[in-house]
Amino acid sequence: MASVTADTPLIPTRSAAARFGVPTALAVALVLLLLLPALGLPPFFESFLYLLCLWISLATSWTIISGFTGYFSFGHGAFYGVGMYTTANLGASLPILVCLVIAAALAALLSLGMGAVIFRVRRLRGELFALLTLAMTIVVATIVLNTPIDGGPGKYLLGVQLPRIYDNSATTIYLLGACVAIGTLAITYFIQYGRLGRGLFAIADDEDVAEGLGVPSYRYKLIAFAISSAIAGVAGAVHAIFVSYVTVSETFSSTVALFVILMSVIGGMRHWLGPAIGAVFVTTINFVFVSGDSALAARIVIGLALILATLFLPEGVAGFVQKQVHKRRAASAGSTDTAPHVLVPAAPIATAPATTERPVLLKGENISLAFRGVQALDGVNFDIRQGEILGLIGPNGSGKSTLINVMNGFYKPDTGRLLFEGQDLAQMPAHRIACLGLARTFQIPRPFQHLSVLDNVMVAAMFGGAAYPQETARRKALETLDFVGLANRAGAFPSELNLHQRKFLELARALVSDARLVMLDEVLAGLTPSEITSAIAMVRRIHGGERTIVFVEHNMRAVMELTDRLIILNQGKLIAEGDPRTVMDDPAVIRAYLGTSDAES
Amino acid sequence: MRGRDIVGATRRFMLAAGLATSAALAATAFQAQAQAPSGPPIRIGSTLALTGPLAQTGAIHKIVGDLFVAQLNARGGLLGRPVEWVLLDDQSKPDITRTLYERLITVDKVDLIIGPYATAGILSAMAVAQRYNKVLVHSTFGIPKMAAYDRQFPAWPLGIDPEKTMPNDLLDALASIGKTPKSIAIVTSKFPSVQFVAVGAREVAKARGVKEALYLEFEFGTRDFGPIAARVREADPDLLFVGAIGLEGNQLLEALDKLNYKPRNHFYVYPTPGPLATSPLGNDAMATTAFENLPPLNKNPEAAAFAKAFTEAATKAGLPYTEPETQAGASWSMWEILTGAIKATKSLDDKVLADHIKKNGSDTVLGHISFDGQNNYGKNLMRTKQVQQGKWVIIWPKDMITPGYTVQGK
Repeated sequence: MASVTADTPLIPTRSAAARFGVPTALAVALVLLLLLPALGLPPFFESFLYLLCLWISLATSWTIISGFTGYFSFGHGAFYGVGMYTTANLGASLPILVCLVIAAALAALLSLGMGAVIFRVRRLRGELFALLTLAMTIVVATIVLNTPIDGGPGKYLLGVQLPRIYDNSATTIYLLGACVAIGTLAITYFIQYGRLGRGLFAIADDEDVAEGLGVPSYRYKLIAFAISSAIAGVAGAVHAIFVSYVTVSETFSSTVALFVILMSVIGGMRHWLGPAIGAVFVTTINFVFVSGDSALAARIVIGLALILATLFLPEGVAGFVQKQVHKRRAASAGSTDTAPHVLVPAAPIATAPATTERPVLLKGENISLAFRGVQALDGVNFDIRQGEILGLIGPNGSGKSTLINVMNGFYKPDTGRLLFEGQDLAQMPAHRIACLGLARTFQIPRPFQHLSVLDNVMVAAMFGGAAYPQETARRKALETLDFVGLANRAGAFPSELNLHQRKFLELARALVSDARLVMLDEVLAGLTPSEITSAIAMVRRIHGGERTIVFVEHNMRAVMELTDRLIILNQGKLIAEGDPRTVMDDPAVIRAYLGTSDAES
Repeated sequence: MRGRDIVGATRRFMLAAGLATSAALAATAFQAQAQAPSGPPIRIGSTLALTGPLAQTGAIHKIVGDLFVAQLNARGGLLGRPVEWVLLDDQSKPDITRTLYERLITVDKVDLIIGPYATAGILSAMAVAQRYNKVLVHSTFGIPKMAAYDRQFPAWPLGIDPEKTMPNDLLDALASIGKTPKSIAIVTSKFPSVQFVAVGAREVAKARGVKEALYLEFEFGTRDFGPIAARVREADPDLLFVGAIGLEGNQLLEALDKLNYKPRNHFYVYPTPGPLATSPLGNDAMATTAFENLPPLNKNPEAAAFAKAFTEAATKAGLPYTEPETQAGASWSMWEILTGAIKATKSLDDKVLADHIKKNGSDTVLGHISFDGQNNYGKNLMRTKQVQQGKWVIIWPKDMITPGYTVQGK
């Protein structure tokens, strides 16, 4: 594959400042917060800062599952409540740090139990997930209320012993809160910029595509949910000591869920710092307007401020800042923009051996799949040989894309086997198939809309067959973008690309992880004739005489120019296969598909 | 002539009245001038639930506080200084209550603090008061055994064990007319400050040989009382004891009415007073109260003046129920206890004030409140009231029975 060229406007690799700046800043913030009581400020400030820390922890932890992953939870109060009642019940008999660990574990277990069921069902996203989490809060509250965990009268935390740091147990609570908040921010930061975060953002944008690129979505969602819940549990466990009297109605009210959502929306849900910004804003504004003479007016002012913030900053403060930075970068990049690559059609590989002599890479045996009585695939048998470009054609509705989806793991066939180097892919999850080195593009490009072009490709590089470490993935992604002529658009968002470029972004994602079998689903659809010429050249370069490609296409010129072999589907059945010229002359093919003997369309 | 006499008499009366009025006004002006408070104000800080779910009741406490402080300043303030009430909105949240009390004490540096509204908020404020050794007089703390701080003083004279005194008073009232119930059904909301009273009622009933026909708990916030009503009808007790708060009593009565069932005798712990009194289903309903604008309580001129002023202010503020009862009465007595101690000791020192209050108790619109028992809870001054002819009257104890009324029981 081509390497980065001299005129490629690279997004600079992350500097040491970018890598270590935030962790250092968080460490400094923690030290400052821990030293604050030594300054002798009025204790109110500790109390106020504690509440800031509480909401930072809760809102930031919520965003791990809901902002990063896109699973909107109304159930954060349940995990927070589990934490509160852990301290309320065990605080008198166990050291507080042990209580915090137990609270985290219980909250994480609860979320894992719930997630293990919910995340198995793909359709339980969006409002259904939100409703289920809300229902879970009610269930947990009911259990707490009707068992000795509370039983009704509430729990008064009389016997909880705290170490008296700075000779004051109230300061100890503040310090605990500060540690939890800074810890939460650090965890969220590392998640966002780590492998997990990239996977979660991809899941949020398009879970199926993420899975197809190798993101283990089920496992990642469970991990995100567990981390998010564990932090909420710890925050609740500390807060129980702060309020000293825990009741079901207060603990499991809708306040927690609504506030964390509000804070995250205002601050920005897709950035580790966004919810903290929102938490600081909302908590501070709540304390600025507490005068008894104007309580109601103050609430109205706060409500209006929140409405305006939501209207004019729909992606939150952090999202707004990110956008401005992006615009500035785009403007400066624009001035040094290189000319788009014009790919010269490459010459056909002259000495390719006959494909029938090559070893079989993937073997499909008796693949059948029906959708509500419609037989989409009907006993299809085929071979894909190492290094060939296999054309997969057929009229609309013949089952081409379905077959790609079966090979890709999106659909599980009703019968049959898909043998790839001895392993049956038929019932394997999509992300594992991707890890084996099978990649695909989509007929209608499905980029991750909220990730830059570079990040889109990096996801594939980090999770696909190659599973590169982050920095390598970044380098490989840039190389691949250069290869497909999108290096100068690496920092752009998919919405800023035209169709041609989005198709090539699809190609870049499929190629970056050095996939051994690339399935191109109608990559030429919608392109202009000159773009088609360029795309054909690109496919040829991708192939490079070695890479195995399945080429689904209606454009017969491209099919005839590119493919070594064809298989023809009609109404879910394989009706012909072999050399393109021979197959296209097959009367059955002509009858079923072309309706004319002229192969050129 | 006769007419001229009348005119002359009228003229003389008007002159005399004018002179008397002028003299009275001059005297008042002189008195006011003589007593006009001066100097830096004494700042008393508190929070109230002015917004959030408890705001409706919080509004009663704000009206009372505003009235009390205005009257106090009109009478010369405290120690010759005006009084300023530094009031913050705790938004009905205990954690904000705690933080705002810390602000009042450590940033605003108020001279004294006074209690917020509702049990959870008071508990939060109490923890702060304890850390800074401040006196905390409060008005609506529902679970006396939790109030362990020695400088907290309850203006709501529940006694230390309302879970015993409240059902005992009720049974005594019914026994006084020979209607001691043979069976009791206890249904209660799982709201902390009523649930423990219901649990206590269970024990009291057992101790007094009243058969428990039903004990049932429901979740606070329950709206569908149909199934509960069916169980009550099936149990058909002589006395229905409802651990109700707010409108739960009305909701249960409506559900019972749909089953064509009327409880023979029925009691509600802390109902919203207006709707129960005005509902046709609420007839003979009983509840507990600390204050009603009824004799003998309003024979005390202070109490009568308070009741009148409150009703006027509540009407002006558009409150749905404008009669003063437990909330307003306890709130007023809270101010009386604190300011009375300041007047008596001429001090703003928390220890001096606490010692005085503890030792002397306080005369309030609710009666003389003592603080000589466990957790500074003294004698129980709660009364049992009953809806009769669409209004509340006090029916127990004997010396508090509203003249002309008696306990109604079946």
